[in-house]
Amino acid sequence: MTANRLAAKGLTLAYEDRTVVDGLDLEIPHGKVTVIVGPNACGKSTLLRALGRLLKPRSGAVLLDGTELSRIPSRQIARAIGLLPQTPVPPEGITVADLVSRGRQPHQKWWQQWSDADEKVIVEAMERTATAELAERLVDELSGGQRQRVWIAMALAQETDVLLLDEPTTYLDIAHQVEVLDLVRQLNLERGRTVVAVLHDLNQAARYADHLIAMKAGRIVAQGAPGDVVTADLVREVFGLASVVVPDPVTGDPLVVPGAPWQRPGQPSGDTAATGAVGETADAPTE
Amino acid sequence: MSAGRTVLPAGYSRLRAGGGTFLLHRRSICVATALSVLLAAAVVAYLCVGESFVAPAEVVRVLLGRPSPDEFVVGTLRMPRLVTGLLVGAAFGAAGALIQTMARNPLASPDVIGVSHGAGAATVAAMTFGITSYTALPYVSVAGGLAAALLVYVFAWRKGLDASRFVLIGIGISVALGSLTQLFLTKGDYLVAQQAKVWLTGTLNGRGYDQAAPLATALLLLTPALLWAARAQRGMSFDDDTATALGIRVGRIRLGLATLGVVLASVATGAAGPVDFVALLAPQIARRLTRTAHTPLLCSALMGALIVVVADLLARKLLSPIELPVGVLTAAVGAPYLMWLIRTRSRTGGTA
Repeated sequence: MTANRLAAKGLTLAYEDRTVVDGLDLEIPHGKVTVIVGPNACGKSTLLRALGRLLKPRSGAVLLDGTELSRIPSRQIARAIGLLPQTPVPPEGITVADLVSRGRQPHQKWWQQWSDADEKVIVEAMERTATAELAERLVDELSGGQRQRVWIAMALAQETDVLLLDEPTTYLDIAHQVEVLDLVRQLNLERGRTVVAVLHDLNQAARYADHLIAMKAGRIVAQGAPGDVVTADLVREVFGLASVVVPDPVTGDPLVVPGAPWQRPGQPSGDTAATGAVGETADAPTE
Repeated sequence: MSAGRTVLPAGYSRLRAGGGTFLLHRRSICVATALSVLLAAAVVAYLCVGESFVAPAEVVRVLLGRPSPDEFVVGTLRMPRLVTGLLVGAAFGAAGALIQTMARNPLASPDVIGVSHGAGAATVAAMTFGITSYTALPYVSVAGGLAAALLVYVFAWRKGLDASRFVLIGIGISVALGSLTQLFLTKGDYLVAQQAKVWLTGTLNGRGYDQAAPLATALLLLTPALLWAARAQRGMSFDDDTATALGIRVGRIRLGLATLGVVLASVATGAAGPVDFVALLAPQIARRLTRTAHTPLLCSALMGALIVVVADLLARKLLSPIELPVGVLTAAVGAPYLMWLIRTRSRTGGTA
């Protein structure tokens, strides 16, 4: 196995005087999909921003092939690490093909604005994300799902070994969420891209991650294969939520089912569909 | 664009030259050509019109350097003022494009970031203290504009230049300097105040090669920087995070664009006073014409020059023999057109 390219050492991240992450050590497994989960404000997005040099560490460092990011020119980082922010803003009135082609930016020179290699990569990125037929449309006119695919196409055109995605499924309906995550998985398996994604949905994380990192209050609480990490105890510790963890009926990955919904006191329990369903598959409901 | 293999973004053509390949935005080239033609026509018209009418054929003869009986009227009387107007317009147009790109705000202009008010305050102060020579005043106003912009920088700088903070502090300092100008105007001599009022509107009256020379020098010296800026502007239309992820050094580019815009606007203000509405209008009109995803620098400069030349033509002729300050008319020339463009093409561009 190849050595891990991206790591963090003693990473401390802070906004103004509020420390979000304190002295964190981390290795991103090479060629794997790593998903970071945790409650709101646990520092997962902040960590991702730091991995993509969008946030300068207060102390410690993010290392790319053993060199601190702050010592590597930004363009050079951009040829190794691609990053899609949570809500990227496209230039006004830009077409899809134009936006995707901007991913070539770190590879281009002012006298080399559209090489054959650029063209090949852009065509492939658009075909892979099924955005080729949108090429001449304005990005402003696209639906959320289409737009996200276009952004991913741009990140692909950047041809980086590592791809960082900050909540790539936010604002998408469930079908588009699955579409995007499947695309990520495919890129990882077929092209060996290392992916680090921040996800909100624990079940999606368990499904798509090779390596799961659970964070709480700026610390890593647990990490490893989802099957080892996602347990009812962990969900309670990280999210403060009572739940039952059952095997996903489709994939066999852990599936987190939250405890029974709130009910009026005194109402007979057990006749709602939700608790009934849980009762069938899990024999030990939460205490 | 033909369908099939090519994925060149719609509207672009590829040009191979030497060892390089360049992307050309066809519509921008058409707009630049059309603006140049219009500008040439405006120049001829400008030189024809005046106290006496000179036939366009004679004007063209003079422009081509051939001997002509109208050499004196066209070449010596009208030409210097025209050249100043052209340069002032181009400089303001380019400055506006740079500052709007840098601030990511279509309402930003040299007026907003302190240049105009700084130049105004310094010039009016100098006038009140008895400096009225037109050879000295431009330098005073350039110094004033640069100083005010520097002040805005210093206050807005906190681990980098944040676009919105820059604009807000610029507005604050502009307001403060504006009231300083008012103070000088009310305290000063009546005649000086009158003269200062005209300067503050922006005028090309009595402007000639003496004012045009520093501006031409600045534009010439800054050409390499402007070429850099024209390309760097493309990357600035993303949000900071996305741009940084693409390896664009957002902070440095923003600082570079701002500095360039401030210098151009200051020098232009020195030459003609704050005709700064041009800086606001020209880039907006140019961008709506080219329909590019960023503000086109060359077209903004051409548009600026066109607006100023046409406005000054009207300023000289409208209430002739009284010559109006050009600043009175720049808004009248450009604003209705911009409003029309916004109404007819509100679909692309200009929601921010």
